Amino acid sequence: MIFEKMRQQIVVYALVLVFGCSVGFSQQPAPPENVNAFDTPNDAGASITITWDKSPEDGTGAEAVTGYHVLRKSGDSEFEVITKSPLTAGETRYVDKGAKGGPAYTYSVQAITASESTVNSAETAPVKAVGNWFHFGKRWIFLALILFSVAVVYSIYHARRGKEIFIRRIPGLEAVDEAIGRSTEMGRPIMYILGLGSVSDVATIASMNILSQVARKTADYEMPLRVPCNDPIVLNVVREMVRTAYVNEGRPDAYQEDDIFFLTESQFAYAAGVDGMMIREKPAAIFMQGTFYAESLILAETGNSVGAIQIAGTDSDSQLPFFIAACDYTLIGEELYAASAYLSREPMLIGSLRGQDYGKLIIFGALIIGVILELIGVTWVTTFFQRV
Amino acid sequence: MRRQVPLALCFIFGLVMMLAEFSPHPVSQGIRKEIIDWSLIIWPFALVLAVASLVHTHWIRIRRRAEYWQYSYLVFIGMIVMVVIGIPFGKRHPAFVWMFENVQVPMDATMFSLLAFIIASAAYRAFRARTFEASLLLAAALIVMIGNVPVGDFIWNKLIPFGDDLPSTARQWILDNPNLSSRRGIILGISLGVISQSIRIILGIERSYLGGGD
Amino acid sequence: MLERLMNIDRRIIFILVALAVIIPTFLKVSFPITVSEPTRQIYTHIDELPPDATVLMAFNYGPSSLAELEPMAAAVLRHCFKRGLRVIGLTLFPDGATLGDEVIKDIAEETGAVNGEDYVYLGYRPGRIQVLLGMGSSIESVFESDYADKPLREIPMMNAIKNYDHIDLVLDLASSSSPAWWITYTNTRYNQQIAAGVTGVMVSELYPYLQTKQLVGLMPGLLGAAEYEKLINAPEKGTAGMSVQSFVHLLIVALVIFGNIAFFIRRRKEQ
Repeated sequence: MIFEKMRQQIVVYALVLVFGCSVGFSQQPAPPENVNAFDTPNDAGASITITWDKSPEDGTGAEAVTGYHVLRKSGDSEFEVITKSPLTAGETRYVDKGAKGGPAYTYSVQAITASESTVNSAETAPVKAVGNWFHFGKRWIFLALILFSVAVVYSIYHARRGKEIFIRRIPGLEAVDEAIGRSTEMGRPIMYILGLGSVSDVATIASMNILSQVARKTADYEMPLRVPCNDPIVLNVVREMVRTAYVNEGRPDAYQEDDIFFLTESQFAYAAGVDGMMIREKPAAIFMQGTFYAESLILAETGNSVGAIQIAGTDSDSQLPFFIAACDYTLIGEELYAASAYLSREPMLIGSLRGQDYGKLIIFGALIIGVILELIGVTWVTTFFQRV
Repeated sequence: MRRQVPLALCFIFGLVMMLAEFSPHPVSQGIRKEIIDWSLIIWPFALVLAVASLVHTHWIRIRRRAEYWQYSYLVFIGMIVMVVIGIPFGKRHPAFVWMFENVQVPMDATMFSLLAFIIASAAYRAFRARTFEASLLLAAALIVMIGNVPVGDFIWNKLIPFGDDLPSTARQWILDNPNLSSRRGIILGISLGVISQSIRIILGIERSYLGGGD
Repeated sequence: MLERLMNIDRRIIFILVALAVIIPTFLKVSFPITVSEPTRQIYTHIDELPPDATVLMAFNYGPSSLAELEPMAAAVLRHCFKRGLRVIGLTLFPDGATLGDEVIKDIAEETGAVNGEDYVYLGYRPGRIQVLLGMGSSIESVFESDYADKPLREIPMMNAIKNYDHIDLVLDLASSSSPAWWITYTNTRYNQQIAAGVTGVMVSELYPYLQTKQLVGLMPGLLGAAEYEKLINAPEKGTAGMSVQSFVHLLIVALVIFGNIAFFIRRRKEQ
């Protein structure tokens, strides 16, 4: 009887001990809390963002949480781990980029310890990834673009009413007539180089606009206009454009299609080809307008060596010093874009330049105010622009 | 009509592409991608016309016995050899790789290395302290040139007892400060110019690229 | 006389430059290299990447700028392979395809890196910006196979690398505007870390991005290669080229000073 009682007590103690030990040795960490899943804003509808509060044992205690896995399921299926390797301890956010639009997904965050014991958080409510029509993160840029566009359009239509707008003298563009006149006197051709840009580069389009004005003048003077091209699409657009310019000037017979030709797409082969032409044909005037890279100085120096009057213009700012050193005139950056308005003197085009100036004024204002506020310790303006 | 259609297309596509930049939705991104694909498709057709132009130019040169007309044969030989080896055997064929490494690489490298000679002669001719501003630029250029090569620090450290590595430090300061601020100014001007030019093109106000006129 | 000095025949200058290149090549002089901060930033960034990290290297240069950019590519590849990082190579320009393949193969052979496990070379695909955007959703959608036409899904290393989420750093070795494309399309849209190694002439253009931290670092031309070689303690072509470059720079500085002295004497005489 006594033995029986002792036996029962031993069993109870043993059970308590085993339970205590098992709890002690495989103690699970506390799970992450406040797990929240929501559709990632401003995306194409392919991702869901999951956030959570760290487990209280994140990085602390004997059974510290060393990382997290994110689990996902749709409908009644089982949870699957979607993180390839555990997220490091301390992380509280994960973007699931594999949540393609369609089913609603439920998430759970699993805390892991060094002994690889795990605990899952509560499930989130089901969430669907939805595509957004407007990127709210870009709203300030959009607003600035709209404001600037309105300023430009307003200036254009204001100019239409015939108000005289002052436009500062751009020596490089004043020299266009001089360059063409010189070629006529010397009886040597004019060479027009559009650079290495494609037709989608704004600088190339700006260059085409200048070429169009130059072509009108060469049509009048009946001077050969040589245009070696580097881009197949540019070649075809330029041929059509120059032909139209000649037709509009009433000189379709003077147009020579063979003078506008494709050389090569390769950068330095193009430079070599154009240099060869310069040395052989000795053009009296060379226009280099558009996008240029390292070939800029090779072209400009060769043009300089044959004694041509050279007018360059580019928005490739690293090439500007080379053009300034080797050419007679250089259009710097935005002057290239203003060239068409300057040469044609069309009021609507000139008006747009005033709109551009309004934009500059706003930027200058923001810069000055920002600097002053920063100096007196007010930083929200800087923080705002950094976020934009 | 001949002028209106391209202007209308330019307006529609320009506006769509601009709005697509602010809309991440799959539909707007799909349209954007479609437009880009279309523009890429134009390229091979234009390339055919470009190659035809190249062949025509050199054929005329040979026929008219223009100056150095013999070189035009080289154009045809180069073109035929690269196509005959490149298309059937592929880009990793030893013959193709050999031609790339032993013809194109040295020729391109030669053209690029001309820059060293040309920069020297242009610098000699153009870097003159004509005005106060030009003198400032000249001084900055000399510091950057000297600081950009290890010999600058080497000579300075050997000759001057103070300011270790001053040339390279000064060069870095010039790049980080005056260079950076002036470049920002140019970038701002260019960016506004690009937007303004784009608005003019989209609205059909700038039409010189269509040959001018109405 | 002064007039003649000021308008010295360019061929004489060309001969002087040629001598300044040829003589130091044979003399084999070397100077201690001071590492600039932007180059050190790239080195530190790569050096602190976890061992299983992936670096994407874009060989966006052609044969013309090979001399400046290939030493950079080789130095960074050596560093990555020695650290056991995974490297993906590609190019956005057709000229760069063969060049990228060669440099990656050479350095892999030297360091014992294995194709398909430690590195993958994807080669060239047309489309430039479209390629960058396409890789944001899936690399395989743009490069379905590597340069040797092996499908990506058969390459073990690519099993875990699907898009920019799995790439820790992009290093663009460029001789044209490609760093700006990476910044605009992958840094802005995908928050991808970008570093660049560019030709000497382009360096100043990229400083604004360095200050705004859109670039984690920047290597300037051959000097950048020499600096990186110093950081990894493996002097190669970059370091060797520095002595030649030093002499040419000294020559240009001397010419500019000489030209200005002649200019001032003439101006004084005229006055």
